[in-house]
Amino acid sequence: MKRQSWGIALAVAAGGLIVGTTQVTTTGASSPGATVTLTVGLQQDLDTPNVTAGYLVASYELWNLQYATLTDKAANDFATIPGLAESWTASNDGLTYTYTLRDGLKWSDDQPLTAEDVAWTINTSRDQVWLNHSAVTANLTAVALDDRTVEITSAVPDPKLPTMDVYILPKHIWEEPAAGDVTTYEALDGVGSGPFTLKEWKPGQEWTMEANPNYWQGVAAIDQVVFRLYTDGGAMAAALENGEIDAAHNLPAELFVEMSKHVPSPDLRDGEQGIVTVAGEQGGFTELAMNGMAGGLGDGHPALLDIDVRHAVALAINRDELFERVALGIGTQRDTLGVSPNTEWNPEIPADQQLNYDPAKANELLDNGGYLDTDGDGVREMPDGSRSLTFRYAERSESTQAEGIRELVTGWLAEVGIATEVSVYDDTQLTDIIASGEYDMFVWGWTPFVDPDTLLSYFKCDQVTTDVANPLYNDANWCSPEYDALYAEQNQELDHARRVEIVHEMLTLFHNESTYVVLYHDAETQAYRTDRFEGWLRQPADIGPVLFSNSSPTYYNLKPLAGGTGDDSGDSSTAMTILLIAGGVAVLAAAGFVVIRSRSRRDERD
Amino acid sequence: MRAGFVIRKCIGAISTLAFVVVFNFFLFRIVNRDPVNSMFRGRNLKPEKLAELRRKFNLDGSKWDQFVAYLRQLLHGDLGYSLKGFRPVATVIGETLWPTVLLVGTSTFLAMIGITIGYRAGWRRGSKFDTTATSLSMLTYSMPEFWIGMVFLGLFSAKLGWFPVGGLEDPGSHATGLTKWLDQLHHMLLPATVLGLAYVGEYMIVARSAMIETLNEDYLQLARAKGMRDDEVRRRHAVPNARLPVVSLSAINFGFIFGGAIAVESIFSWPGIGQATYLAVRGPDLPMLQGLFLLISAGVILANLVADVLYGKLDPRVAGR
Repeated sequence: MKRQSWGIALAVAAGGLIVGTTQVTTTGASSPGATVTLTVGLQQDLDTPNVTAGYLVASYELWNLQYATLTDKAANDFATIPGLAESWTASNDGLTYTYTLRDGLKWSDDQPLTAEDVAWTINTSRDQVWLNHSAVTANLTAVALDDRTVEITSAVPDPKLPTMDVYILPKHIWEEPAAGDVTTYEALDGVGSGPFTLKEWKPGQEWTMEANPNYWQGVAAIDQVVFRLYTDGGAMAAALENGEIDAAHNLPAELFVEMSKHVPSPDLRDGEQGIVTVAGEQGGFTELAMNGMAGGLGDGHPALLDIDVRHAVALAINRDELFERVALGIGTQRDTLGVSPNTEWNPEIPADQQLNYDPAKANELLDNGGYLDTDGDGVREMPDGSRSLTFRYAERSESTQAEGIRELVTGWLAEVGIATEVSVYDDTQLTDIIASGEYDMFVWGWTPFVDPDTLLSYFKCDQVTTDVANPLYNDANWCSPEYDALYAEQNQELDHARRVEIVHEMLTLFHNESTYVVLYHDAETQAYRTDRFEGWLRQPADIGPVLFSNSSPTYYNLKPLAGGTGDDSGDSSTAMTILLIAGGVAVLAAAGFVVIRSRSRRDERD
Repeated sequence: MRAGFVIRKCIGAISTLAFVVVFNFFLFRIVNRDPVNSMFRGRNLKPEKLAELRRKFNLDGSKWDQFVAYLRQLLHGDLGYSLKGFRPVATVIGETLWPTVLLVGTSTFLAMIGITIGYRAGWRRGSKFDTTATSLSMLTYSMPEFWIGMVFLGLFSAKLGWFPVGGLEDPGSHATGLTKWLDQLHHMLLPATVLGLAYVGEYMIVARSAMIETLNEDYLQLARAKGMRDDEVRRRHAVPNARLPVVSLSAINFGFIFGGAIAVESIFSWPGIGQATYLAVRGPDLPMLQGLFLLISAGVILANLVADVLYGKLDPRVAGR
């Protein structure tokens, strides 16, 4: 045999060995006592397991599973339900709440979980201004009355109470790191009170959480959850389709739509094979913002101070077409800001106040305002002729939809005589541009918390940036004393129904001002296989995501299906693997021997 | 080889590295001014907390103050903290080194088969072997890595299921020893082949050109005239003289091992330096990017230094100049 032929044989043998070896290790069927693993694919790694330092969505999923909260949120509608606390009472003035913890609570390392852990977490996070706690605990003081009773007092009336959705940390673990710079603590201890706790983190690859034997609702039905990082969305979709993972979060929109077409039915019976796609709303939205210039910074176009011009911009945009062509119909069309994943906060805008696509009306508004195209170049001018209606339009390079939005929006604006100069920035640059006020329009978005207060607060007058070095949240530089008064009212309104009314009023006001044109509400694109687990929960019901939702109730609710594959951790077929390795090594050795013999004979002939 | 030659080259390498340190620092700060604002957008943080974060990441002073602090850190071997999760940059980079060395190193070695093919093709210029090898090399050389990667992933992983879709190991694997190594090998085979294919054409084309340049040299005629066999003339006289450009290319490519392979590592979710760079750019995570660029630059500068020294060794005329 010629030397090249032996080389090919060698390569085939090696390839066959490797393929064969690992195919055995990845398809092991379930057996009694096997580890039941749920594998979730995502495109983002943890930034850190340290809850005082991390800020990425991936890390929130870890903390949602690892740290229980005093009160929980119902999967269906975010209603406040008992968590670590089984009950609570309020003082007459509504400022103090006394929570009673469940009996026999334990951390995952068997240490008792007491009221002291709760009080320590609340007070320390307030004093040290922890990243993910301080927004809730800033005005709170907690006192442990006994092991099971904690009294929490708010310095101001707080309609969010009795909801206490802050992660309670084990004092016996965190006290020492908190004595120094707590943010540098690695937090790989894996001690928690939620249904799963961190077992291992392989940065850049995956992290594994195991069921907490001391979880107050009882141990979960699945043994561990592996969160697997895929930097490429297409690769993640392929991994889902061939069964390497059980669920995927944030699929690329095009693949999501394609996958949705092949789904036999969204109501598959248990055990029936297939992939279910879920477009889960979290209240996040994409908007076109216009510079209101309230902070006096920058050089926004003066025409944008005219509400008729802002209305004309809103009327020129065909949001239906935008939603179908750019968002690919994933998400929801709504008129107002999303201030919460809970849709009860969304008002219905009266028909006569809606700003739907109507270019004729947009033209009429601009004509009546004196914005005419006096020089015949297709672009309108200011009534005094000082400058044209040419707006600087900024977009994010990070957004996959920005280009599509720009193509359509700038085209529609041109049709009503408004020109645009487009600039593309990364998020850091765009944040700086917005802070400086040197823009006319930009496209970005927000994702709210469950309580609407935080997002509503961003549009107050005191959030308008007046110092470039200290940018605040009001990115459209819009200020309305009426809005501020309503904000203050809802912020301390303890009657829930009345508070909802006030918020509706605020959002209607904001909509009518058109400083933001809400283009559409986004959705998380997720999918899961139905052949291994049942019990996937959407939060909120019907419209929310199944994973990475606000309190992540799915994981604890999942049950393995009878007949589904169990252990896919790769350890079950070690003996077979070793046998194959031995065989493979023998083949390689034999092949190598023959090659060497062939060579030496040839050399002898030479 | 004269010691002066080596010292001169070392001084050149150190100066280049110093330039890179300065350049990298200011490059990222010209592009991005204050990443803290965008990182914590929508987190409802008070201005005081944002100011504290800026202080922590050494972003609060003037550019000059920041640069001095950065140099001070660097001299202490401290690359600072990643903006993501406050983890030390050196630790994060350290975690990505081995997977990259494994993947890019293996594929670079695999691709070196292109050198042998190139020498043979050049030696038999115009032959059927040369035509075929050159065409195939041009084909693989001209195909972008990410495209080959996606095609291979779609075919061999998604369609045929022969290889895992990505990663270094099976999800949740606790394998150790030989099983672990085989698992990693199984995961590596597809990305390594893609990278190898991308590199092999380059090696082949350079080796072939170098060989062709030597074909009409007098010393080859002399060797043949002395009655040496054709194969021997090639091995003993042609190949050593065609080695210089190939050594240079190999050294530079080995330098790029530390740069990872951003496209391939990202497609195959390979947890190496390429993927870390991709994720840091998405941040943008300035301290991580600085650390990564420093490492990548240092790798290339070191490889160039090695190439220079080897050049001097292989061709004494270079060292003598």
